[in-house]
Amino acid sequence: MNDGSGGNQRRTRFQALCQSLRPDLLRFAYWLCRDHALAEDVVQESMLRAWKARDSLLDERAAKPWLLTIIRREYARTFERKRVITEDVDELVAKQEPMLAAAEEQDLSEMRTALFKLPVAYREPLVLQVLMGYSTAEIARELDLSGPAVLTRLFRARQQLRAALGEDDGADGEA
Amino acid sequence: MMDHARYRMLIGADPRSSDAELREHREGCPECRLYTEQLLRFEARLERALQVDIPTRAEVLPFAAKAATRDAKSWRWMAIAASVIFGVVVAAAVWIALPGTSLAADVVAHMAGEPEAWKLTDVAVPDAALEDVLRDSKLRLSAAAGIVSYAASCTFRGHRVPHLVVQTPSGPVTVMVLVHESVGRHTQFDEQGYRGTIVPMPGHGSIAVLMQDPGAAHARDLEHIAAQVRDSIVWLDPDLRQ
Repeated sequence: MNDGSGGNQRRTRFQALCQSLRPDLLRFAYWLCRDHALAEDVVQESMLRAWKARDSLLDERAAKPWLLTIIRREYARTFERKRVITEDVDELVAKQEPMLAAAEEQDLSEMRTALFKLPVAYREPLVLQVLMGYSTAEIARELDLSGPAVLTRLFRARQQLRAALGEDDGADGEA
Repeated sequence: MMDHARYRMLIGADPRSSDAELREHREGCPECRLYTEQLLRFEARLERALQVDIPTRAEVLPFAAKAATRDAKSWRWMAIAASVIFGVVVAAAVWIALPGTSLAADVVAHMAGEPEAWKLTDVAVPDAALEDVLRDSKLRLSAAAGIVSYAASCTFRGHRVPHLVVQTPSGPVTVMVLVHESVGRHTQFDEQGYRGTIVPMPGHGSIAVLMQDPGAAHARDLEHIAAQVRDSIVWLDPDLRQ
């Protein structure tokens, strides 16, 4: 039992840690789910799982990747539970339009729409790299991929985004 | 030496890479340097696009909420338990200290249901009728009780009890001899237009005396009448005689 003052302190500390990471975690979940409400659900459930599994977090500095892993697994579970086998990207974009269009600049809005249409296999490593600051090796570890496979996905992700935005890619390389 | 395609693939996968080999190629290749600059501008837009503002609907983290809920539940249960204990203690205290309160309410309710008993008269009920009423309670009244103008055997709290009206100088006074209602102490009450008193009769329950018009009698008059009626009771059952 940890309902004593030590337990309360630990909970408070853990809560503060999660609270500080929450915006990033929500953003990550959002780009994973492409649905604001679902992202909130996934993060909430993940936080709960994290709290239950808090003993496995040995180093607070590793809290962010630890939580991101929990979120990815929770999202996968949600995906399995809901058995979402088809997705209409245009519908998703329309549904999330208020958020996508929240950008003051038109090109940001277009970029967000293009990100929405990016396959998750490309979108996820890209978000981990750009938004979460993961290195190629860390992404490979998180996604259980080889380094070259990660580089290929990252390259193709940007290539597809630039193509979607009508920019000349200027590269023809492959990993 | 890295070729253009390899450079563009690697820099395309990680535009902010600080890899020495990439830097070396870039420094020696104006085209790839230009390509990298374009890529970095694109990257800046990408970074900004990903920093979407997400309004959060939940201000409280789930485990904190659960913990708070758990704490609240604990406190709620403790509060409920405390309330129940407190309620039981208060009820017991009231029941012990003020047994006449609810009894008084019942007496008043009963009296209100028999308005005809309050008639001011100097005509006494026949002795035989009075004895019939009192027999169930194994008692009779001596003449000291005064003029009994009304006598009925009424059901009160599951028992047959004598309901009498005694004419006094202060007006008609209703008396109920409650042999089944023991009270711990003398209680006065004043409610619903009735002023009354419930007097313990050790070993014989209690006696309730009340008047309909509180202005017509002082409390001490009631006490006097109660004492008068009580003293006029003659218990017929030898076991009940004091």
